[in-house]
Formats: sequence, C-alpha cells, structure tokens
Amino acid sequence: MTEPTPILELDNVSYSYTKGGKKVLKNISHTFRTGEVYSITGPSGAGKTTMLSLISGLTSPTEGKVVYNGKDLAKQDRYDYRSHDIGVIFQSFNLLPQLTVAENIILSMDASGKTFDKPKKDIAVKLLEQVHLPAEYANERILHLSGGEQQRVAIARALSYDPKVVVADEPTGNLDMATQDDIMSIFRALAHDEDRCVIIVTHSPEVAAASDEVFELAPLRRRA
Amino acid sequence: MFVLKNAWRNVIRNKGRNILVAIIVAIIAAAATIGLAIRQAAVTARETGLDNTTITAQISFDRSKAISELRESSSSDSSSSSDSSDSSSSSSDSKPDFDAMREAMSDKQLSLADYEKYAKASSAVKSTYYTETASLAETDAVQPVEDSTSSGSSSSSSSSSSSSSDSSSSTSDSDSTKSDGNAQSGDGQQGQPGGGQGGGDMGGGMTMASGDFSLVGFSSDEAVANAENGTFTMSDGEVFGYDSDSDGDVIISKELADFNNLKVGDTFTLENVNDEDTTYTFTIVGIYENSTESSNQMGGPMGSTASDPANAIYTSVSTLKSLGLDADSTTSSTDSSGNTVETAAAQLNYTYVFSSKDDYEQFVSDAEKAGLSDDYTVSSADVEQYESSLVPLDNLAQFALTLLWIVLGVGAVVLVVLTLFNVRERKYEVGVLTAIGVKKVKVAAQFTFELLVVTMIGLALGAAGGAVASVPVSNQLLAAQVAQQESQASSQNAQFGRDMQGPGAQGGSSSSSSSSSSDSSSDASGSDSSNSSDSSSSSSSANAQNQPGGNGPRGMMGQAVNYVSNVNATVNLKIVGQLLLIGLGLTLVAALVAVVFVMRYEPLQILADRS
Repeated sequence: MTEPTPILELDNVSYSYTKGGKKVLKNISHTFRTGEVYSITGPSGAGKTTMLSLISGLTSPTEGKVVYNGKDLAKQDRYDYRSHDIGVIFQSFNLLPQLTVAENIILSMDASGKTFDKPKKDIAVKLLEQVHLPAEYANERILHLSGGEQQRVAIARALSYDPKVVVADEPTGNLDMATQDDIMSIFRALAHDEDRCVIIVTHSPEVAAASDEVFELAPLRRRA
Repeated sequence: MFVLKNAWRNVIRNKGRNILVAIIVAIIAAAATIGLAIRQAAVTARETGLDNTTITAQISFDRSKAISELRESSSSDSSSSSDSSDSSSSSSDSKPDFDAMREAMSDKQLSLADYEKYAKASSAVKSTYYTETASLAETDAVQPVEDSTSSGSSSSSSSSSSSSSDSSSSTSDSDSTKSDGNAQSGDGQQGQPGGGQGGGDMGGGMTMASGDFSLVGFSSDEAVANAENGTFTMSDGEVFGYDSDSDGDVIISKELADFNNLKVGDTFTLENVNDEDTTYTFTIVGIYENSTESSNQMGGPMGSTASDPANAIYTSVSTLKSLGLDADSTTSSTDSSGNTVETAAAQLNYTYVFSSKDDYEQFVSDAEKAGLSDDYTVSSADVEQYESSLVPLDNLAQFALTLLWIVLGVGAVVLVVLTLFNVRERKYEVGVLTAIGVKKVKVAAQFTFELLVVTMIGLALGAAGGAVASVPVSNQLLAAQVAQQESQASSQNAQFGRDMQGPGAQGGSSSSSSSSSSDSSSDASGSDSSNSSDSSSSSSSANAQNQPGGNGPRGMMGQAVNYVSNVNATVNLKIVGQLLLIGLGLTLVAALVAVVFVMRYEPLQILADRS
C-alpha cells in the first residue's frame, strides 16, 4: 500500500458546544489518506458524531484545525467543501422524503455546481447500480423504500458528485448482517478501487474489523 | 440555476398550500386593485375633469366672513341677509341688523376699473366679459310679462324646438356658433350662466329684483353667450352692436314682444324705477327666445317681474352707460324701511375666463399679489360645483385608501404567518439542503422564489378579478356614497331652515351655490365624459332636477349638484404596475421572515434534533 499525502488531517482538534464549556473532543490529531477505510469507534458520548461533524465541515473546531488537501478548513467556504469535496452519509440518511430517489441524488449533484459529462439521470442510475439497487428505483419515492434501501440511496447521493472523502455515520446501525456486509463491501470498493478516503463512524466491531485502520476515541473524563 | 428549478418543483409539489396562498393573495390583490382603481379614477376625475374646460370666475366680496363677524356682534339672526345689501331689493326679509350689515358692506363693491386691473394683473386670464343689470319700470305702453312660472317656461320650451334654425343674420349666427362652441369645447361655459349668478350672489352683483324690467348690458358676444338667463336664439332681427353707434338698440324676449305687440324696428319707452319722470327710449333690433328652459322659471312668489327672464331686455353696456344706468353711476332709492339710499344704478357682474383650472389658480394668486384684499375671494362656480360633485367620489377614494391599507395589513400578516409555518414545517429540508452544501442564501432564495411564483399567480388572478369587478363595485360603492351625501345634504337643509330643495340640492355647500340651472350643472359634470380619458370619471345626471332658478331672490335659489355618480374605474397599466409593486412588497416582507429563519437554522442542529 502506498503512502500518499494525507487528504484530511485533524490537527490537535478540540470542540465544545458552548464557549469555554465542556469539551466533547480534546486534542485529537489524526491523518486520513485516500485509498483506505477508516473506522472511528468508541463508547457513546465519546464524541464520534462530533468528530464526523468536524470532518464533514458542518461545524468548526473550537481549538486546532481541520486541514483538507493542505488547506485549513476554517479558511475556506464550508458549504463549497460540503458540496464538492466530501460525501456525508448521515445516520438518519437525511434524504428528502417528498423527492424521488433520482431527484435526491440529482439535488446533490446540482448543489455541487459541478458539470457532468453525462446526463445526471444516467449518472444517478449508474450510482444505484453501484450501491446494488435496481435502476427502476430511480423514480420511487424515498418513503416507499426500506431502511437498507434508503441507506444505499444515501451512499449513492454522497457519491454523486465524486468526492474524495466519504464520511458515514453508523451506516450499518440498524441493518441485518447480510446488508451490513454488502454495504461494507461497497465502502471497501470505494476506497480500494476508486482511491477515496472512507471514514466510518461505528460502534460495530464487525465494521471496525472490516476497515483498514481503526481510530478509537477514548471516553472523556468529566471535568469538574 | 438549480435553485429556480428546485423552487418550481416545490411549487408544483405543495399544491394544496400554494393554492391556499395564491387564493389569499388573489383576494388581497382584487381588493387592492379595486382600491387603486377607485383612487385613480378620483384623481383623474379631479385632474382631467376641468382640463379642457373653460373656467369662469368672479371676484366677490367675502360677505359670509363679514356677516359672521357682524353676527357675532349682534345676536340677531342674519342668515337671510346674504343678498340684500343692495337696498332696493325688497325680496328678503328685513332684519334688525340689516343696516349695519349693509353699511359694512356698502363700500366693498368693486368697480369696473378694479375688475379690469386684476384682469391685467394676470397673464392667465384668457378673456373677460361683464354684464350690467339695471332695473326699469313699466310704462302704460309697455307692460312686463306678468304670469306664472309655468307659462314662461312652457312657452319657451315649446318654442325652443322650433327656434333658431332660421336665424339668418350674421350676428345671431355668431351667437349660435358661440353657444355651440360652448357645448362642445366644455360645457363649463354652459354652466356659466349659473356660475355668473353664483358669483353675483356672493356679492359681485346683487340681482336687482325691483322694477318691472331688467335691462342687461353685455360687454361682448361672449357675455351674451353666457347670459344669466341662459342661452337664447334669435327669432327675429339681430343682436345689437357694442359700440356707441348702437346705443339704444335692444333685443327683447319673444314673450315680451308678443305681450306688448312689439316687433323688430319698433321703439318703446320705459321709466326709471325711482323717478317716473326719467324715461328711456329703446329701439328693438331683435327678438330672442330663451333656449335654456330651466332658467326661465321665475323665482316664485317673492320674485318681481323683473326677475322673469321674459322681462329681460338685452343691450350693450354702452347703452347703459349712455343712459347713465351703468354701475359707476348712482341712483337714489327708498327702501322698504323708508330710508333713502344711494346705490349704483346697475349691478356689475364681471367674469374672468380661463382656459384651464391651472390658469384659474394662477389668477387667484396673481390677483392676491395685485393687491386683492382678504375681504374678497376669487371664486369659480365651475370649479366649486365640480368639486362639490366630487364629494362622494372623494369620500369613496378615502374609503378605498383605508380599505387598501387594511387589506395590505391583513394580507401581510396572513402571508407572513403562512410563510412562517411553511418554513418551520420545512426546517428539515433546510437542514438537509444546507448539510449537502447548498448555501443558506440559495435556500433562502429558493423559498423566496417559491413564494414569488405563488404570489404572482395569485396577483394575476386577483388583478383579473379586480379588473372585472372594479367598475361595478366602485359604482355600487359610489352610489351608496351619493345617497349618503344626499341625505346629509337634505338634513342639512332642514337644519338650516332653508327651503328644502329636494334631495338634489346641496344646502350645505351653497356658499358657492347659485341659481344654477340643473341643465348647467349637469352639463358641467357631463363634460367629463366627453373630455376625460379612459379612466376618468363621467357623470350621469342622476339627480337632475329642475331647480327654481333664474333671478329669483334668495331662498328660491337652489343648486342641483349632480354628484359624480359613475366612475370609470378601469384598471390600466399604471394600476397593474402599482399592484405589482404591492405584490412584490408583500412577498418581500413574507420572504424576509423566511430568510431570517433559514439563516438562523444550523444544519447540524436540525439534523441532530432529527436523529
């Protein structure tokens, strides 16, 4: 395995919800490279989701910095970062229920502002194929899909604008084992075959075992 | 622009709510359209109603002011003295403070030179003319037509149909063209007989109602065309000339001619009212027939025969001057209480003619600059009558404005609340959109655009509905206003203890009132319809009544105000533009709320709440 330059780097990052308040994350440093699947594990309340929020640019660290491609995230437009560079698969999928599968995917493509060489609908169908969903799902309403299917659509959406980093929050949380394996194989393929950086937040040991590198967040000691 | 595409999709998707919003906006828009249309109609009516109309005005001594001052000093009721400062009139009731009032006002009459001074002071004056009216007494040979109102009016009305067609002389031709011109170019001139009278009533020239005949001297053809008794046509002979060569030439009414068996070319003699030994001899050069029916009616029991139009002898001012009967000469008379009073031999009635209302207003200020004191007012019966005819329309416009504000206020609140719920409901959507990297500005823009699409659809529907409804609705509203105004006016009449003139008369505003004939007033307002552009007002003579008119003494004078009872509240581009602005304004207000909310939302917060 090559040692490419890190695509994403956490540099001594701390985070607290309120200024001067309890720190959810404290002095975290880690490097993420493309072509690998990372697992972030830890007990509840260890700050897994917060860390994912920092990585995905939904929020900024109170101390330290998140560096993407050599640039401090705090110094660039986090909306552009979210829409171009990173694909986020939320724990609750966050698909728009009133839209169809294809519309959800195309919405993300539109939001990225990127230009595509093929019709967006074709790309969406191809992505569905990639996440093991039949093409006829494209015109189905999100609400008509099962949890696992929604999960796959969320992945497809995250991949639609071809981000270098894909972040997933508990992607296998409430799925059966077979689906879980299938989803993990998709993630591994994304990292290994398409040279992306896949970061998965999970408390599932199976998922951790299936990833290339595990980053374990220790539970924070409560401060007086 | 995926934002627009997205917005459009959302509009389609949320049909139910958007239809609701569109309906609300449509209702607001319809109400606003009607309100705007009414206001516009009122404004246009005011602006253009007198635009192309010739306006005449008089300068008059502000007697009401003087009287009210006097009334304060003397407790007695003086409401009736308005026309009696001219002593010899026996028509009004004598009041205890009569002399005081008369004294106070006796020096206030402007002379011909004064009037001309003000005419020269302003460049706005198009032309001027004046008449002088003197009284003459009967002789054995010539008796006034003394009959009831009905015969006078019926005879003239019956004859008017057949009259004038065969008037052959050049002078009478010019006269008839003149009156034709009046009818066409602006019936305000038609209204002038009343107007002139109005000014006179205010104090310019009190009608001399004593004597048996009124000898009216005219300064020009224009004065003749606007004769107090209304337009007339020559049935025989021709109108007198105005230079001294024609002194002594008169034209008399057909009734008078028939009554006394006079014909063109005859001469007759009349006596001075105050002095039987002084006689005047006139040559009849023409016989005329009044064509304005309503003016022919006599004042009533109080009127002397001189006030009967049939007994009006028309001549030039030059004739009056040569006879020593002009306004600058004086004559002494004995009034009803036995006092001998020196009064002007004739009543001067000076009229300024303006080609537009602007010129009239210009003149008002010019005259003030030229030294016209506060005791005098420049008044135009045309303008005042027109404005009083606009009272219901103004009320309606005021009402429309209130309605507009209420509708806009309520509309804005409703729209804001709906938007608020909408945004809160779609909080999750905002969260997702921002989470996948759509900028908040774009999300806000999307919401705004959605609202805009819906409001514009509603606006279009509402404007269309409002345009269809505005004319009937505004006319309906106006009819209610007119009815209200009329009942107010009549109750005012009752309150003032004046003669009830019927619902058409407006006692309240009769400071400007005069013996205007109903014809003249309906003409005056009728001119709007011909002159006005698409959205101005036109009036119908719904309230036309034959008011007792002519030279009758006060109390017999009534004014038939033909309220503008029909507006053409057409919706035009200007209103559509205003409506568009209103719609945009409302949308922006509501959108602002959406924007504020969207900006406040943090994607992480929303998504965290959700999971």
